[in-house]
Amino acid sequence: MAALNGGATDQVLVEEKSCARILTLNRPKQLNALSAAMVSRLLELFLAYEEDSSVKCILLKGKGRSFCSGGDVAAVAQGDWGAGEEFFRREYIMNYVMATNSKPQISLLNGIVMGGGGGASMHGRFRISTEKSLFAMPETALGLFPDVGASYFLSRLPGYMGEYISLTGVRLDGAEMLACGLSTHFALSEKLLSLEEAIIEADSSDASVISSIISKFSHTPTLKKGSAFHKHRLNVLNKCFSQRTVEDIIEALEREADENKDEWIASALQSMKRASPMSIKISLRSIRQGRLQGVGKCLIQEFRMVCHVIRGKISRDFFEGCRAILLDKDKNPKWKPATLAEFSDEMVESYFLKVNHNEWEDLKLPVRSNTTPFAVSKL
Amino acid sequence: MYFYRKDMEKSGFRTQVLARHFQGYSCDKSRTTLISSSPCLSYVPPEFSEKPFSFDVELMRKLMDGHNVEDRNWLFNLMVQSNLFNRKLRGGKVFVVPDYNQSMEQQREITMKRIGFLLDHGVFKGWLTGQGVESELRKLALLEVAAIFDHSLAIKLGVHFFLWGGAVQFFGTKRHHDKWLSATENYVVKGCFSMTELGHGSNVRGIETVTTYDSSTGEFVINTPCESAQKYWIGGAALHATHTIVFSQLIINGKNEGVHAFIAQIRDADGNICPNIRIADCGHKIGLNGVDNGRIWFDNIRIPRDNLLNSVADVSPNGEYLSSIKDPDQRFGAFMAPLTSGRVTIAAAAVYSAKVGLAIAIRYSLTRRAFSITPNSNEVLLLDYPSHQHRLLPLLAKTYAMSFAANYLKMLYVKRTPDLSKTLHVVSSAFKAILTWHNMRTLQECREACGGQGLKTENRIGQLKGEFDVQSTFEGDNNVLMQQVSKALLAEYVAANKKNKPFRELGLDHMNKPRPVIPWQLTSATLRNSQFQNDIFFLRERDLLERFAAEVSKYQLQGYNKEMASVVNYQLAEDLGRAFADRSIFQTFVEAEMSSGDASFKSILSLLRTTYVMSTLDEDAAFLRYGYLTPENAASVRQEIPKLCSEMRPHALALVTAFGIPDAFLSPIAFDWIAANSWS
Repeated sequence: MAALNGGATDQVLVEEKSCARILTLNRPKQLNALSAAMVSRLLELFLAYEEDSSVKCILLKGKGRSFCSGGDVAAVAQGDWGAGEEFFRREYIMNYVMATNSKPQISLLNGIVMGGGGGASMHGRFRISTEKSLFAMPETALGLFPDVGASYFLSRLPGYMGEYISLTGVRLDGAEMLACGLSTHFALSEKLLSLEEAIIEADSSDASVISSIISKFSHTPTLKKGSAFHKHRLNVLNKCFSQRTVEDIIEALEREADENKDEWIASALQSMKRASPMSIKISLRSIRQGRLQGVGKCLIQEFRMVCHVIRGKISRDFFEGCRAILLDKDKNPKWKPATLAEFSDEMVESYFLKVNHNEWEDLKLPVRSNTTPFAVSKL
Repeated sequence: MYFYRKDMEKSGFRTQVLARHFQGYSCDKSRTTLISSSPCLSYVPPEFSEKPFSFDVELMRKLMDGHNVEDRNWLFNLMVQSNLFNRKLRGGKVFVVPDYNQSMEQQREITMKRIGFLLDHGVFKGWLTGQGVESELRKLALLEVAAIFDHSLAIKLGVHFFLWGGAVQFFGTKRHHDKWLSATENYVVKGCFSMTELGHGSNVRGIETVTTYDSSTGEFVINTPCESAQKYWIGGAALHATHTIVFSQLIINGKNEGVHAFIAQIRDADGNICPNIRIADCGHKIGLNGVDNGRIWFDNIRIPRDNLLNSVADVSPNGEYLSSIKDPDQRFGAFMAPLTSGRVTIAAAAVYSAKVGLAIAIRYSLTRRAFSITPNSNEVLLLDYPSHQHRLLPLLAKTYAMSFAANYLKMLYVKRTPDLSKTLHVVSSAFKAILTWHNMRTLQECREACGGQGLKTENRIGQLKGEFDVQSTFEGDNNVLMQQVSKALLAEYVAANKKNKPFRELGLDHMNKPRPVIPWQLTSATLRNSQFQNDIFFLRERDLLERFAAEVSKYQLQGYNKEMASVVNYQLAEDLGRAFADRSIFQTFVEAEMSSGDASFKSILSLLRTTYVMSTLDEDAAFLRYGYLTPENAASVRQEIPKLCSEMRPHALALVTAFGIPDAFLSPIAFDWIAANSWS
């Protein structure tokens, strides 16, 4: 294993237990935000495990109260775009390798799962949420957009939950994650240790065997009262978020808000109005295009988008968002353009084109033997 | 490489058989490894096995779709996410394809439900109440997407919005617009379009339904006087339509004023058939069973005077016939306008159907292998056989050409002015015929190229043949349309000669220039030169038009009337119609090439254009028959095609990817067909 120990070894802890490999994201002070070193290390490990016939399954978890709070975007925002691009390139390749990994990945989502944390878990076969889970793709509030393959995995959720999660950045608890399919199982956190042991003991890479073991430890949680995922609310959610444009979605939500005082509608509206107009417009298009293509193409598309975002030629909202939310923390970003109307279709379009720069290249994905993503069968 | 060494092929095959036989038996290990082939085939996605794309497929899709790409994606999304569109998981991928195993009754029911779903989601917003080019283009784009999913769905929408709705728009006046358009857009009324009769199809002027006016009550009386006058093939009539446009002879004071259009109610809001209306079902068809085609008889039904669609002609309350268009021919022409929109949408849908077929067949041919060529080598990919390339790649190039042609036609349609109505009529007739014939031919070739897999309904191609076959005869029989094209060209020719004026319309201005000269020797470089390509199409059209005119006038001098003279010269007329269409399509290709602006498209588009032209020259005997190409020239053309195919081969995947048909709308054999067919 020595060859695998690059730098920064302690940011990802590796345990070998019979045929299982247990990886622990270990940067608890930063809520396990993914650093460049962690991404490189995870990628390296996943690729190595695939070649290693003694490895049968991979458990991924986080140290402390967070599974993973996302990519370290504050670092990206402060660095130059060259380094930023390299970070996202590696991260998306890691997402792709996870999505097309032939060995089952089991993620224990016992805490915060945001942004890049979603990307590190949702592409895997099993995702276990708990009463401590807190999931969100909050990028639209940051001047970014849900990336890390979210245009693939969010668009595969039933109906238009994907649009809802993507555009509003809504925070979901473990029960809601199970309700929409982001998690495949729900277990109480106190059971996780014995669940882990049972999986190690089972010594199997057979998804149905692993699934039945997890099921033994899982239970059916109750959905909190205000959740948008209650059956009686889904109609409204789907009606609003299936609309053609962001403006139409907001209009539909406002019409609903007039008729019923449901809290989720008001807060969805509030988040969308607070978010970067650039972000929600490109996010909607990303998820709509993502729904029609495979995971590889989704990541290639997101890479184009993220490069435009961090180059800041069309809009500098990403830097403004990071300043207002992560650095100065005044929570009062000044978006430019400031309104949806000002952010034209042509501007949206330009985020999906190649970057016009000599040395820039589209994301190149590694050739994989297993190309059917696991996520499709579960989500 | 030459692949027809039979002995090589046999020895390769034999080695495979032996290898399988020896597996597990041979003790000679080195020998086993030498001749063993992998015990199981594995699927490798063409995205991995093929070279990276040499051009931006997203931008190419934009060029080919031409407009409203985001709106198209939105509708694809709506269909993928709904349970009404028959989502199925096969080999780890989601597909949405109608279940054609359903009975006719079930298909009709689900089609209507799907329309209800699309209505609820605002898909039809502005289809009739919207104004301007933008809203027309959006409507066309969404209809094309509906057709990619299911032809029945598109036709059912086409009848309601384009035929019924279009008739109200074009033949009606404000009172009709106010009363019907918004109600139609919201499906408060469901419309159909009663033109065709059992005894009269393409010849609308011969229909036998009769309408008279009763000034004592201020009503029209519509009657089906005989069995051959029953309305036939009326889409929507068998089950769902509440109202219909009725085409009928209008008799005023004993004088036949010709064909006019009326609105009649045929069902009440609860779906009960109205008094004095009889409706029967046209029954099961070879395709399009989601559309409820019916037959209608009118037993002296009475409708208010207001229900005459009176933009062209009116009848006063006291029964006087009024029309601003005095010439009955022109008056009739004005009534044919909605059929133009039908031809436009049919032509566009035909291209998308061909795209679906080709995307499936070509993706399959990039993953399916058959026979080894040399001993101990892998079996060869279908698309690496020159013969397979020759079957599919020229059709691919033609589909690009026709995609540009359809876009040109759509733009002509949405920007139509009275000045352009002749051009629109002629171009839409020609393109509708050529594009729909191309679709049927492409589907047949694709179905054969997929072997047995092409037979499976779930793989779409075979089924599409039945679903789209109707395109070659509805909204004008293709052969009749092509004759009309030739007649229109002849009229231009006669007019120009009589007045001794230059040709201006229908793209015939090339006739004003000197006759093009084709070089004796056609080198590869000449063949690929767009000037040569221009010349050869110009020469053919010009010469055929002159011949046709000469023959017709010869017969007229012998005492034939004009009509009869062109009828007997049908062979020249057909060749001429095709010459016009091919030349026009070629020109739309050149225009698209020039407008694209993207440097990475330059070489691929010119390769496609040349392949389109060479394949047209090779397949149409007219070039040899009339001597536009010498036999030596024709041989050079034919020799060029395998070269062009091998140049297209590395781009095949990119070219079908750029069609922009989402994976879910293709079929399992386009992807991991081993996983899709695995046990469990």
